[in-house]
Parts: sequence; structure tokens; C-alpha cells
Amino acid sequence: MAQVSIRVEELGKTFRVKRKREGFKAGLKGLLKPEYEEKAAVEEVSFTVRQGEKLAFLGPNGAGKSTTIKMLTGILHPSSGHAEVLGLNPWKERTKLSHRIGSVFGQKSQLWYHLPPSDTFELMSRIYELRRSDYRRRRDELIERFGIGPYLNTAVRKLSLGERMRCEIAVSLLHRPQVIFLDEPTIGLDVVVKQHIRELVNELNREEGTTLFLTSHDAGDVERLCDRAIVINGGRKMFDDRVEVMKLRYLTHKTVRMVLGEGPRPLRLQLAGVQEQQRDGVKLTLSIDTTVTSIETVLSRIMADQRLIDVTVEDPPMEEIITQMYSSSASSR
Amino acid sequence: MSDYAMPGKSKRLLWFVWACWKSNLLGAMEFRLSFLLMAGTMLINDVVWIIFWGLYFRRFPVVNGWELQDVMMLWAVSAGGVGLMSTLFGNSSRIAGLVVSGQLDVYLSQPKPVLLHVLISRMSISAIGDVAFSLLVYGFYGDRSLIGLAKFGLALALATLIFIFFTVVVNCLAFWLGGTDGLSAQLFNALVTFTTYPTGIFRGAGKLLLFTVVPAGFISYLPIGLLRDADPLFMLGVVGVVGVLTVGGIWLFYTGLKRYTSGNMMGLRR
Amino acid sequence: MNALTKTFKYVYIGRITLRNQLAYVVDFLVRSLFLLLILYIFLQLWRTTYAGEGTATIAGYSFRQLMWYLVVTESMTLACPSLCTKLEEEVKSGDVAIKLVRPIHFIAFHYTEYMSEVAIRFTVNSVLGGMLGLAVLGPPEHAIGFLWLPVVAFAGFTLNFMLGMTIALSAFWVEETRGLEFVYNKFLFTVGGMLMPIELFPEALQHVVRWLPLQGVVYAPAKTAVAFDSVDVPSLLLMQAGWIVVFGLIAAAVYLRGVKKLNVNGG
Repeated sequence: MAQVSIRVEELGKTFRVKRKREGFKAGLKGLLKPEYEEKAAVEEVSFTVRQGEKLAFLGPNGAGKSTTIKMLTGILHPSSGHAEVLGLNPWKERTKLSHRIGSVFGQKSQLWYHLPPSDTFELMSRIYELRRSDYRRRRDELIERFGIGPYLNTAVRKLSLGERMRCEIAVSLLHRPQVIFLDEPTIGLDVVVKQHIRELVNELNREEGTTLFLTSHDAGDVERLCDRAIVINGGRKMFDDRVEVMKLRYLTHKTVRMVLGEGPRPLRLQLAGVQEQQRDGVKLTLSIDTTVTSIETVLSRIMADQRLIDVTVEDPPMEEIITQMYSSSASSR
Repeated sequence: MSDYAMPGKSKRLLWFVWACWKSNLLGAMEFRLSFLLMAGTMLINDVVWIIFWGLYFRRFPVVNGWELQDVMMLWAVSAGGVGLMSTLFGNSSRIAGLVVSGQLDVYLSQPKPVLLHVLISRMSISAIGDVAFSLLVYGFYGDRSLIGLAKFGLALALATLIFIFFTVVVNCLAFWLGGTDGLSAQLFNALVTFTTYPTGIFRGAGKLLLFTVVPAGFISYLPIGLLRDADPLFMLGVVGVVGVLTVGGIWLFYTGLKRYTSGNMMGLRR
Repeated sequence: MNALTKTFKYVYIGRITLRNQLAYVVDFLVRSLFLLLILYIFLQLWRTTYAGEGTATIAGYSFRQLMWYLVVTESMTLACPSLCTKLEEEVKSGDVAIKLVRPIHFIAFHYTEYMSEVAIRFTVNSVLGGMLGLAVLGPPEHAIGFLWLPVVAFAGFTLNFMLGMTIALSAFWVEETRGLEFVYNKFLFTVGGMLMPIELFPEALQHVVRWLPLQGVVYAPAKTAVAFDSVDVPSLLLMQAGWIVVFGLIAAAVYLRGVKKLNVNGG
């Protein structure tokens, strides 16, 4: 049984939000005598994460993802509940904890904008009080692994977003954190760079056993990086299981691509749960709701009418699965 | 491995402060021309002021006791204090903005004392001009003996501390009231403005104000109360005020931090 | 999800609009408070100065005259928006290129904007400063000068705009212009006569200042207001008009060169 690295029990956070009133006059009144209302960002969320696990923490905008991460890193004080990260209370033992965890906020840079990354490494070694010899060894190791040697001495503002993000992650690993929080680490990056960053993070988890806590809007991040997913919406947990289970449960649709023998002939399937997604000459893409109509039925219906040259059956991208989860939870609320 | 929890804590803290300052300066040096231009214009700006007030105070001896030299030292201490605050602790006057826009996250996710880390993470380049100006004025008008230098150093340190922690206090209002950047900035401006006039011109309620709500008097009387006459009662008052402001500012900041709501509570990002 | 994001969007937009409006009002009030603060300090400073001199007038100004003079100069100075801030932003964001294609003269456009902002701010400042003056000093000795104030102040603001525009237009060539504006303002405050009337300067400086355009900005209007009997309004206005023409032409020339540079290099 692996060790628990994060334990969260009924964690909640409410914000006091100033009620804004319409119109200028009312706004002025609000300035003098503001009215507040309580807004729950996170409500009674509980879960545990084992050491070395790769967890995707998902949810739509405003679901409470960032708020949860900020409570787990000690940035925010919760309104209720408990949390333990590496056996420490994040908001009470923030400093102690910060030596053992790392965080990358995709939109809040830790790098000094006008300085080359090498200077930020130096500064971080002071912030984390690293022993000089150990610091140098670790730095060189990270530089090599992340391939950031070539632009180590270029001012950060002149780096591309992908280069910057690699430096960003490398810097956050300097003090060998046991848990790393990645908040939207691939936002704004192109496909190739995203893939590279995912490989680096996977490698890190494999070799150093670092626990990964990731939030992302990118389905690829979840599929390629994580083995478990927690989905929250409206501040509440609504799914917590392995990524494959999530795919199975919400994977009610299949994408079927086929190449037909004859040219563009109108296809009249008229089957429930089948949608034509794309038609390009002999190439046809269908989306099939397998809970309504089986793939077999669809294919036999087509084959009765036409010649089939090629068929592939695929899972839809994670993006669709997550979107579907949100919409099904929204309708059940 | 980390040396955290090993002895020698304060030494490593100093190393960290030093590293921050060095990074600030290196960052400023990236734009050498603009650096010189900004520091230079600030210096010119200060010089224009002082030449003008020099003319004024030569024409009108303000109050009994305040001589031209005292007025010059008043400027040296005030500009020097503001300058040192803005160069070495340049984020002081930006705390309210950082709180409102949720930019304390990075400091909170790192192990160093949050207030200190915030304060030293920015350097106002133009303020270097203020510091240079202060030293120039001291060089021309100050007492350049060893004891005079020590006194001037002490006066600068005290003024700097009052500036920093008064600014911290007014900026911490943002934790409770929200967007107070404008108000905080104006209170800071008021303090700076008051410190550039001799305390001798104020009477009654005005004088009371200067030694209470806007503690400018504790800075602007330094040229007389420390540099010239070394008045023990006044010095006791200054040290007391510095103590109260420092402790109060730190306490207020950490109390406010518990109410910190970070930036994007609705998931809306700018 | 769509409905959710849409709602957030409108809440957000509504909030921003409202906050901007309110921020403007707050900024306004705070600036006005600063006017009162400065006037308070000057009141103390000059009261002590007059007491120290022991005379009823200094360089021809009575205490009350001098204070009213400062009410005018401070109200005017704190009414002027920063042209450099505006132009720097426009040049950096590329907005300047958009303004260039509009069928309206660039400088005229900014002048209108500048003067309307000045009008509001100066009115508020005058009311506040005037109330303070009436409460603490009593009414000014000659009210007739104040009747002329709007005319001379209008010319003063126009001249300040031309001078400020000439400086701000350097944003076409240099990145940082606010430092320049800062120094210009310091000259305006000192030798421009904002902190004290030119008559109080040492003799030699007075001679130099009489040949500078700066005296037309706040000194001329304030002097007209408080010492109407000792000024020749037509010649003051003529002096202001002369400098306005000179710096208007310079600003226009600088602007044309800037546009040329922009066309060559692209925005």
C-alpha cells in the first residue's frame, strides 16, 4: 500500500462577494454601504491521493479547481474542512510544506521577466536554501533533461511560450518536490510542445516518484499524463476514478470512419442515435450512440446497400467526454 | 538537499535578500539607457525642486531655528528615505494592487517570509535618482565628520522604516476594503509631501496631525532633533513610532493575508 | 456550460463598466482632497512667512492675495491630465495609427479631449478651492480680476496643452516620455510661478523667466485674478497667444515628422 500524499476531508471555501448593483447611482450607494453575499467556490470536497499517483483535477471554469489547488498549497485559508499534504496542514505549516512541494501556475510566472532563466535558478536556490553543491548538480541535471541549455542565458521575455514553460517547470523542480501542482501547464502551447512537456512530466513521475496534481482544459493532458481523474463542478465532487473508467462510463459514443466503394451516393440510414459527422467523397464519418444502436446494426445496414472498403472505430476525444460529463451533471442539478 | 531546518537561518535569509536585490538590479541593467534616463530625470527633478526651495528659504528664514542647511538636510532625509524604500523595498506602495489582482500567489507558494519577499521583489529605477540626490545634498550641506555620517545614516534608516511601514499599513486596507490602490497611493503621497516641509511652519491641529495620523513629523524633524541637536525625547518618540509602525504593519499584513482571496475566484482571468 | 459562461461574461462586463465609472469618481475625489492638503500646507507656510517678515505685503502681495493666487495656480495645475501617459499608450498599442486615418486632425482631437477634461476638473477644483478660500481667508480683495480668470485661464490651459503636446509627441522616437513630462512639470511648478509669484524670485531669475513661455500657463491667470489693477490684460493675452502660436506650430511640425517616421517604419 503506497503512502498517502494528499488527504482532503470535506474541504470548503466560501467567498464574500460584494453585490454589485445596476446603474451608476446604485453603484455609488454600493460603494458607501456595500452588500455582501456568500458564494461557495468549493463545497465539502473529499479525496485522497497516493504518493506517486498522477491525478487530473477537472472541471469547467469556476468549478473550484484553482481554489482547491490554492488551499492545498497554503495560498488560501479554507472556510471549513481539513486537508493534509505530505502530513502537513497547508495553511498552518505553509513554509514547511513549500519546501516539499512545487507548483506551476500556467498563467502566473515564477520566472523573472527581464532576466535570463539562469538568474531565476540562482534566486530559487536561495529561496529554497539549497546546498550549493547539490543545487549545481540538480540544476545541471534539469537543464539537460528539459533541454533548456541553449536559452538559459536569454532574457525570459525573449523566449517563446513553449521554451518559457519548460523553464518554468524545471525551476519548480529545483528543490526536488515530492508533490507537484500543475495548473494549466500546457495552455496556449502548440501540439508538439505540449507532447514534449507531457513526456518530460511523465519521465519525472517515473524516475522520482513525484505525485502529480494537474488541472487542465486539455483532454490530451488528461489522457496521456494521468491515471486517475477527479471531476468537480459547482464546487462539488462528481467523479473520482481511473481515467479508463471515466472513458468507459461516459463513452457512450463511438466514432466510425469508413471508406465506401462507390462515389457520393446519398445514404439513408434513418437510425436513431446515428449522426453523420463528415462526408467527403467516399470517406464518411459517423458518430454512433451505442446505447441506442449497436455498431453492428449500422454497419450491416450500410453493407446491405454499398461496398465497404475500410472501417475504423475510435473513441471520441477526451474533450467530448468531459463536455458530456459537465452537461449531464448540469441537467441533473 | 535543502539546508532548511539546519542552523544558520539568518545567514541564508540575508543571502536570499541579497540575491533578490541583485536580480532586481540586473533586470534594470537590461535596459541601460532607460535606466540612466529614468534615474537621471528623477535626479534633475529633485535638483530643480531644491534649487527653488533654496532660493525661497534664503529669501525667507522660515521659523526661528530652521536654517537653510536644515532645510537641505530635510530634503536629503526625505528623498533618501523614499528613495531607499522604492529601490530596496520597491513593492511597498504596490501591495494594495497586488492583493486586489491576486498576485501574491507566487510569494505564498514559496517558503520565504511573505511580506519581506513581496517588498524586496521590485526595484523602482527612478528612485535610484532620489538616493543619489540625497547623497549629493548630504555631500554639499551635511556634516561630513564620522559622527555626522553615522547620524545621517541613522536618520536615513529611521525615515526609510517609517516610509515602508506606513505604506504597508495603508496598503493593507486593500485586504478589507478591496480596491484601495488610489486611496493608499494618496495617503502615501500625503506623507511624502508633508515630510518635505519644515515642521516649524505647522501649529495646533496641523502639528498634532503630523505626529499622529500622518507621522511625517517624525521624519521632517530629524534634521533638528537628530542631526543638529540630538534631542533624546524626540529620538525616543521616533524609535517608538518606528517600533509601533513596524510591528503594526507586519501584524496587519499577516492578519489580512488570511482574508486574501487570490485572483480568479470566478475562474475569470484577465 | 454555454449559458454559464455567457452569464459570467455579462456579469464581468457589467462589473468592469461600473467599477470604471466609480474608480473615476473616487480618483476625482481623492485628487481634490490632495488640492485641499496642498493648500493647507501652503497656508501654514505663508502664514509663518508673513509673520516672520513682519510686513503686510511681500513683493506687493498681501497674505490674502497670495493665498488666492495659490488657490488659482493649484486648481489649474491639478486640473491638467497627463498627455504623455495618453500618447505613450497610444503609440505603444498602435491606436495612434487608427487615429491617424480618422478624418480629424490628431492634435485638434486631443485638444478637444484635453480641454473637456480640464473644464470638469477645473470647475470642481475651483469650487473646492474657492470654498476653502472663503472659509479661511475671506473674499478676495478685487473680485473683478476673477471675472477675467476664465479667459486668461483658457489661454493658459491651451498653452500648457501645446507645450505638453510637444513633449508628449516625442513618444514617436523615445519609449519613455513621462520622465520628460515630470521634469517639465517641475519647471512649471517652480519657475512657472505655481508655487509662488514670479515677483518673489531673485532679480536675475525674474529677467530670465519673463522670456519663457511658462509664465503664460498659471502665473498669468492667477496674477490677473488677484492683482487685476497691476496687470495689463491685453498684453498678457497677447503674450499667451504668441506662445500658443509658436508651440502650436512646433507641435504640428513634430507631429508631421512623427507620422512620416511611422509611415516609413510601420506602427
